[in-house]
Amino acid sequence: MTADLATAPLLEVAGLHVWFELPGGRELHAVQDVALTLEAGQRVGLVGESGSGKTTTALTIMGLLPSSAAAAGRVAVRGEDLMPGLENGFRSHRWTDIAMVFQGAMNAFNPVRTVGWQIAEPMIAHGTATGSAAKARVAELLELVGIPAAAATRYPHEFSGGMRQRAAIAMALACEPKILLADEPTTALDVMVQAQILDLLTRLCGDLGLALLLVTHDLGVVAQTCDDVAVMYAGEIVERGRIDALFHDAEHPYTRALFAATPDLYGDEPVASIPGSPPDLARPVVGCAYRPRCPLAFAPCVDVRPVLAPVSATTATPPGTQPLTEPLTEPSTEPARHLVACHAASSARAT
Amino acid sequence: MRGSDYLVKRSAFAVITVFVAITINFFLFRVLPGDAVSNLARIPTATPELRHALRVQFGLDKSAWEQYWLYLGQLLHGNLGISFANQQPVRDNLVTALGNTVPMVAIGTVVAIVIGILTGVLSAVRRHTVADHVSTNLAIAFYAFPTQFLGMMLLILFAGLLPSAGMSDPFALGDVSFGSHLADLAKHMVLPAATLALTLYGENTLIVRSAMLETLGEDHVLTARAKGLSRRAIIRKHALRNAMLPTVTMIGLSLGSIVSGAILIEVIFSWPGIGSALYQAVLQRDYPMLQGGFLVITVTVILLNFVADLAYFRLDPRITS
Amino acid sequence: MSTSVSQVDVPEVEVQEGLWAAIREVLHERTAMVGLVILAAFVLMAVFAPLLSPYDVHVASCGVFDPPSAKHWLGCDDGGIDMLSLVITGGRISMIVGFAATLVAMTIGGGVGLASGYFGGWVDVVLMRITDYFLVIPDLVLMIVISAVWGPSLSHVVIVIGILLWTSTARVLRAQVKSVRERVYVKRAQSLGASHLRIIVRHVLPQVGPLLIANTVLTIAVAVFDETALAFLGLSDPTATTWGTVMEHAFDRTAVSAGAWWAIVPAGVSVALVIMGCYLFGQSIEDALNPRLKVAHLSPRSWRLRTLVGRGPDAL
Ligand SMILES: Nc1ncnc2c1ncn2[C@@H]1O[C@H](COP(=O)(O)OP(=O)(O)OP(=O)(O)O)[C@@H](O)[C@H]1O
Ligand SMILES: [Mg+2]
Repeated sequence: MTADLATAPLLEVAGLHVWFELPGGRELHAVQDVALTLEAGQRVGLVGESGSGKTTTALTIMGLLPSSAAAAGRVAVRGEDLMPGLENGFRSHRWTDIAMVFQGAMNAFNPVRTVGWQIAEPMIAHGTATGSAAKARVAELLELVGIPAAAATRYPHEFSGGMRQRAAIAMALACEPKILLADEPTTALDVMVQAQILDLLTRLCGDLGLALLLVTHDLGVVAQTCDDVAVMYAGEIVERGRIDALFHDAEHPYTRALFAATPDLYGDEPVASIPGSPPDLARPVVGCAYRPRCPLAFAPCVDVRPVLAPVSATTATPPGTQPLTEPLTEPSTEPARHLVACHAASSARAT
Repeated sequence: MRGSDYLVKRSAFAVITVFVAITINFFLFRVLPGDAVSNLARIPTATPELRHALRVQFGLDKSAWEQYWLYLGQLLHGNLGISFANQQPVRDNLVTALGNTVPMVAIGTVVAIVIGILTGVLSAVRRHTVADHVSTNLAIAFYAFPTQFLGMMLLILFAGLLPSAGMSDPFALGDVSFGSHLADLAKHMVLPAATLALTLYGENTLIVRSAMLETLGEDHVLTARAKGLSRRAIIRKHALRNAMLPTVTMIGLSLGSIVSGAILIEVIFSWPGIGSALYQAVLQRDYPMLQGGFLVITVTVILLNFVADLAYFRLDPRITS
Repeated sequence: MSTSVSQVDVPEVEVQEGLWAAIREVLHERTAMVGLVILAAFVLMAVFAPLLSPYDVHVASCGVFDPPSAKHWLGCDDGGIDMLSLVITGGRISMIVGFAATLVAMTIGGGVGLASGYFGGWVDVVLMRITDYFLVIPDLVLMIVISAVWGPSLSHVVIVIGILLWTSTARVLRAQVKSVRERVYVKRAQSLGASHLRIIVRHVLPQVGPLLIANTVLTIAVAVFDETALAFLGLSDPTATTWGTVMEHAFDRTAVSAGAWWAIVPAGVSVALVIMGCYLFGQSIEDALNPRLKVAHLSPRSWRLRTLVGRGPDAL
């Protein structure tokens, strides 16, 4: 058992599903069979269009679903599955193991409390620091993200957008988490500030050994920050691999379209320019979810759902990695293998 | 900087509103067609001497503008005229009445606010549970019952158990110590204050509940949850504090309901306060009293509104800094 | 928040659909339906009052304060008049007064709100200042003073209530109109040279319709409430039979000391039911239109766990 825990990844997400109850008894299947692993110091990007389930995936990793939601699967921190404990099972791990920088940090702060108070709050709640120690740590954190320590006594509305984003990062680091989930941390910021925030995140992962899951719809941001990337479409991960592998040899037509829609990797072009729209997740999807928009769609795509499978060594991954036939379930020492869920991709390989 | 701006703005608003109220008061009684003073025949108690006194008192021989300035000048000196009914200065009548009204209304209102906050918060944090349904529907019911209906029901229910009219027992001779006087007053106050609390609490519950629900939908509550705080801590340190803001505003706006409740209740329980004074003034066509009563109540409400503004100022750092 | 694309370029029809969808959603809700049924029942009662009323309200048909019996379900008042007939007949006039006063209030409040939000600028500033003053001055006191000066009559009651109950509608409507005005198609219509009236009628009103309906219904509640208050203070027509005057007579003529609760309860409960009906229906619409009530980040229940044993991912 202990040996298991020692070899277990820092964060392991497997077979994750999330459903939201809608008015009228319908159900929206927002996250479908998502699997991810994160190791210390690793930086993984999660990209996809609006509504593809990125935020929901991140929130589920912290157990932060609303009461209208149902979830299935495994979310394990150092081998310990937190899902069976529901809301309360996650609570002691929040902020101490996994912390999050929320989408739209503008509203992530309580407007009637000072920024310093809000950064210190989780330290006191989890007992990691109290009184003057907490105060000192707040100052230290603010300086770490490049905000003068004196700003601790100010209110969120007195901060600029970039400052608030930095403060949100400082707040996330308060209890020295091992895993940081950053949900669109740079959307709505101008390019200069965006680059600074991304640099800061990269630096923190190196210095503190943080594992980072960076959620964004912008491949440019991922390319700038991450080693690995997972592409989400309609609640599923459709392709996964090292950023350079995907950049040069994307297998999934959706990934390719995403790259095509991002002409300049450092620009802030939105991804929304792929023709068509994603399926309604409140209805069951038959076959491949991307089929209606896919230029490569053919017969099997209509009724057979493609599953995530490794891409052949000759097409994508560097020489010397595992052959195509190896089963998916076998533990891999190479976390960044290139996987894709596409009939067209595998048929291309077969020929 | 912005904080002082806010204070100046709200003070100016309060002052101007008082002025608007005074002006409405003046024009309502003298300029509108069928206005009060020119129609002296409608005053049942009018004798020739009184008519003459009135002409002098209202300066009816002068132009409307002169009268207006005269009126403002008299107000500045605290002169509200002489009551038709008891020939006493209106100001003295109103001071006595206000002194009787304030304790009863204050107790009823405070009870209503406390119960309203407790049940509203409970409803919101237990949204969609049985407790929420019961508490919300009860609040709607008490919001819906007419004040006079609740008052009369309490009168019938507690007939013989609690005093039903006035502020003191007129036959309580002999023992006139301060303590027994106070106890007598308290006994008389139970029913009117309880009626007021019942009519007001429902609205307060509904206000607090929706303010609280809106707060619980704000993003920073999700942040608080993500930080691993307990439900209690989130409610205590984030939701309650933030929901106080809309609650203060809305309770400020519901001052009107407090006033109408108080007037009806004073009539029902013969409580010799400002509401009764207003009612008597209507019955006896005692226009100086009516005018004075309107002014006193309105100015009080405006001042309380200003107090609510100040409370908001203290509670919301977005204004202060 | 981040769905900027779909927010800017929504086709006109879809937005309207979205707003009216709120009403359709409301009609599926139990509380809203309860409110609507109560209201409809009282409106029907008012319409068919002469047919429903078992006795003449001007002729004594039983003894003084006779308690409820088989012949007189709700008992009798001090003049031996059947309470059930009084409540049915009184309901008709109370409802007419309430609806008419609301019509006056909605005309003023709707006009002020529309003009303020649509034209903006100094029109907005002036109108909102006036609204603010009216909002602070306690309604009932001003109503008392005006009715006292004008003398008691039903039409005065209607006007007095109407000219004082419009403020919150004006405020709420103004905010909504302001945001509608910013929408793309209103701007497009403006650039195409459509007249203000046409834009308001074709584009703005349909957008704010549901909110206006909610406010109207909520105002009816307050108007009915105020009618009974004015009547109780002797400022309504004393010869008219309304729920307000029925309660006033009962109080005046010692129903309380006689313990004749049946002379008070029917009218009081009727008023309360109408107000509850209005509140349940109107508030449900308002809540459905309020996006801030849709999200709950803290609820008493946790989310649920679902097991996938025996079901493959494709079976889902
Ligand atoms: N609380 C909820 N109730 C119902 N449906 C929800 C809820 N939260 C999210 N959804 C739905 O789940 C799907 C995934 O949403 P999610 O917010 O995870 O997408 P996202 O990839 O983060 O998109 P974005 O780029 O816009 O942030 C969407 O269809 C969304 O409408
Ligand atoms: Mg998102």
